[in-house]
Amino acid sequence: MLHETLWRACQDIAEACRRHPFVRGLEDGSLDPGVFRRYVAQDAFFLQAFARAYALAAARSRDLETLSAFCELLNGVWEELKLHASYAQKLGIDTAHVQPNPATRAYVDFLLATAWHGEMDVIMAAMTPCMRLYGYLGVELAKTRTSGNPYQEWIATYSGSDFGELVARLEALLDKLAPDAPAVREAYRYAMQCELNFFSAVMEEDP
Amino acid sequence: MRALADATLVRSAGELWRQATTARFLEAVGEGTLPVEAFNRWLVQDYHFADALTSYQAIALAKTPRALRQPLLDGLVALEAEMKMFKAQAQQRGLNLRGPVHHVCRHYADFLIRTVYSEPYAVLLATLFGVEASYLAAWSRLKPAGPYAEFIERWSGEGFQEYVESLRVLAESNPHADSQRYFNEVLIHERDFWRMTWEG
Repeated sequence: MLHETLWRACQDIAEACRRHPFVRGLEDGSLDPGVFRRYVAQDAFFLQAFARAYALAAARSRDLETLSAFCELLNGVWEELKLHASYAQKLGIDTAHVQPNPATRAYVDFLLATAWHGEMDVIMAAMTPCMRLYGYLGVELAKTRTSGNPYQEWIATYSGSDFGELVARLEALLDKLAPDAPAVREAYRYAMQCELNFFSAVMEEDP
Repeated sequence: MRALADATLVRSAGELWRQATTARFLEAVGEGTLPVEAFNRWLVQDYHFADALTSYQAIALAKTPRALRQPLLDGLVALEAEMKMFKAQAQQRGLNLRGPVHHVCRHYADFLIRTVYSEPYAVLLATLFGVEASYLAAWSRLKPAGPYAEFIERWSGEGFQEYVESLRVLAESNPHADSQRYFNEVLIHERDFWRMTWEG
């Protein structure tokens, strides 16, 4: 299956994300709350763009089945945004007025430029890594249980069966709509790199 | 060049304007000391950028009211000639224009494409003015001499000056609340692009 081929081709980046200090910090609960706060703000900005990209893909779909799949995926990201809204409220973040850092900006510009201008196969390749990677990280992190981990809710969300079903839905759509072509591989890998840069940027940013 | 420096968007950009229009790469072009690999890197990446800019200009043209289109039409034709020049230069130097796109170039291209689809035409005019005006200002700081005189002349000459002036008029006569923000964002991309051409 194409989705497995693409994922396997990016194992180096997936493992770099798995070992990233940000992800390790979520795993054992040691992540600086200030870093998590920045992450929530940046991710809320990103997810709003991700929702728009789904909406654009839905508008450009060629059959009812694909349109229906994108509507469900859009609903899924909307639920994720609600989760962020609850974090954001607790953390006092105004998610409507986030200043994106350069890594977020690059990722969002890539996704939206692709969703507006790219072919459907490349759109699918650009959108899948975010979902697959978070599903993978959620399952990995759920293997370790640290009592009193303040990030348990995050881990539970991305390791949960609801999220897993969305990932499977998106990957089935990728398999249906995309061939194994250089542009598809390139977009998938670039999106994976954007994910890694996203983690690094929230760690590096000045408080 | 006086009108350019006096343009409201340029004056309001402050320090960003200087950062976007001065670069070690350009100094070396002017001094005739530019390493060949830096020139080659610039040529390939600028070709990728010009390709994205062609898409930008074509879509911006389609979104702009007919009465304002002439400078955009002229710009599109000139850009296509520039693409042919890049191809000829690359062939002479044995460079592969299909080589990888640097992430800095890619981000600039993605920014332009995302912007051209999602923003109103007035913002698109200010954005395009930013791209071309900063390029004109950057090359105009150099004397057209040395091994790269042909490039300096192309982007500091009268024809390009007139085109940029027509874009200034369009941008200033179609103001928008978001124009300065996008103009400034272009300057950040220009600054980063020049740095990339020098540093790799």
